Amino acid sequence: MNFALTDEQEFFKKMVTDTVDRLVVPKAREIDEKDEFPRELWREFSKLGYLGLRYPEEIGGMNADPVTAMIFYEQIARGSVGFAQSVIMNILMGTYFVFRFGSETMKERCLYPAMRGEKIGTMCFTEDQSGSDLSATRTTAKKDGNEWVINGTKMWITNGPIADMATVLATTDPSLGNNGLNFFLVEKGTPGFAPGQVLDKLGCRGTVTGELVFDNVRVPEENLLGAEVNKGIEYLGEILDEVRVMTAAMAMGIAQAAFDEGLEYARKRVAFGKTIGNYQLIRAKFADMATEMEASRLMIYNAAWRIKEKMNCRKEAAMTKMFATETCLKVVDEVTRIWGANGFAHEYNPQRHFRDARFLLSGGGTHEIIKDFLGRMIIGKPR
Amino acid sequence: MNIVVLAKQVPDPEALVEISAGGKKLEIEQKFATNLFDEFAIEEALRIREKHAGKVKVITLGGGKATEVIRTGIAMGADEALLLEDEAFLDGDGYATALALSRAAAKEPFDIILCGRQAIDHDRGEVGQMVAQFLGLPHVGNVVKLDIADGKAVAESAIEGGKEIVEVQLPAVFTAQKGLNEPRVPQIMGVMKAMKVQIPKATLGDLGLSPEEAGLKGSKVRIEKYLSPKKRPPMQLITGEPMQAAAEAIRILIDVERVI
Repeated sequence: MNFALTDEQEFFKKMVTDTVDRLVVPKAREIDEKDEFPRELWREFSKLGYLGLRYPEEIGGMNADPVTAMIFYEQIARGSVGFAQSVIMNILMGTYFVFRFGSETMKERCLYPAMRGEKIGTMCFTEDQSGSDLSATRTTAKKDGNEWVINGTKMWITNGPIADMATVLATTDPSLGNNGLNFFLVEKGTPGFAPGQVLDKLGCRGTVTGELVFDNVRVPEENLLGAEVNKGIEYLGEILDEVRVMTAAMAMGIAQAAFDEGLEYARKRVAFGKTIGNYQLIRAKFADMATEMEASRLMIYNAAWRIKEKMNCRKEAAMTKMFATETCLKVVDEVTRIWGANGFAHEYNPQRHFRDARFLLSGGGTHEIIKDFLGRMIIGKPR
Repeated sequence: MNIVVLAKQVPDPEALVEISAGGKKLEIEQKFATNLFDEFAIEEALRIREKHAGKVKVITLGGGKATEVIRTGIAMGADEALLLEDEAFLDGDGYATALALSRAAAKEPFDIILCGRQAIDHDRGEVGQMVAQFLGLPHVGNVVKLDIADGKAVAESAIEGGKEIVEVQLPAVFTAQKGLNEPRVPQIMGVMKAMKVQIPKATLGDLGLSPEEAGLKGSKVRIEKYLSPKKRPPMQLITGEPMQAAAEAIRILIDVERVI
């Protein structure tokens, strides 16, 4: 067993860390305060080529292995979660199905520009009455000649209001539950496809999140992203683990940003004649935070390694997402305590990390659902 | 235009440094970074190449993590690299280091040598000048602007209270000062290239040096002892009316601290 990052991965981590420190960290506060998509940063960042992280070199990607990708996800989230969400959406969920099933012309039109940052992608699962429970999807897709007609409303869509293209989850028959699900590519400008309400969120501000409305949207047959009809849930399984581990990596990014703030404060804030880092109760907080972050990262890298080796990872990915997110929530909470009243002030960063962390609770599956899934998996079917 | 950049991996500015072995050694936390001034040198070399064509070669001396400075150079866009890796090179002073680097630079014809004005670890700021001396070349230090044309360079240096503009014939050695440029953020294609690059290495023998000319043996300066800087006393706040407070500050500086 070898737990070390390779020299190449170490170097990659250093490069990404420096890049994020230079380009993203200085803008994080403004991104949060303005709560607008940071177009200028997007242009600057996408020029560097990171948006093709996961895709093959032949099409201009980096062909990064999952461990390397996790390093990236963590670092970009450390810089600004609001920005990271948009970036990761283009890298992973917003383009995966076009890459996997799209025709060459579709890739030319959507995937390659998205890898260059010229187009913004999104993936639409969630509706007002369904999120983690995908079988309750109400958006429908009906075949009409050689076209699909999509109807429904999606909610909580990352990049939704600014998306140039959307991978949309829709059912051919709601009564089929998970077995009626399919993915479709819908491009901006298609009649009937329009953004709706934009959400005002507690955290992850700067990512534009909102509603997408599909009103008799007609797309050609080839826009069904899948080899067969009604196999969407199976295809989703191809990236579900990666998405969950990615969420865990983002959690570590937020946790690390908060941890660093806490550390700096503990080293300089004086109380009763000593810097507060000299007090055992404050030291204990750092011991606990660092230990749990270490454990989370081991889980993340292990799960990523399993994905790379094409081993089953459903259980590990779910555990990792839940554990790392809970660790993150604990860290952001402890850091606001270390900062005392200043942790409550908008003037400083800890409150931002505190707010941002909450988002991860639902992204990638709520922990209530994950726990139920894990428990069922461990105990087995009722006997 | 062949440009050689001499670059160095230094302890990260945030790395913990402790004196050990009774002042003989430094224990440095294993966190490293490319010397900031060398990053200016790499960036300037790349800009000159972009204008005048040619190639940029990054040379560094050291083992272990020293490869990272080379990978950083490649990620930014350097074409070639050379790592001087030999136990005999270790623990050398500026003189021994400059001798080895000058030999390495001279292995192929070049027009320009660029390096940082100093490394931010020992802060001695001597290697660039010594390399120029070993190679019998002109040297311009503290460069904040560099224009190349017709086999000549016009360099602007920061000097106390102003700037100095110097024209030199190439080949020449230039040391980079803050203000020369803003180093670029590497693109992912460069990072990928850097991750995969096989770094050519040179040993003592490859540079035609004897063990007596390198590392500790070849050094002119020996470090006798490291001492920690004096701990600063806590800040003293003088309250009251500005005129009286200023008078009190002067009294402390004269009578108590005896610095004026």
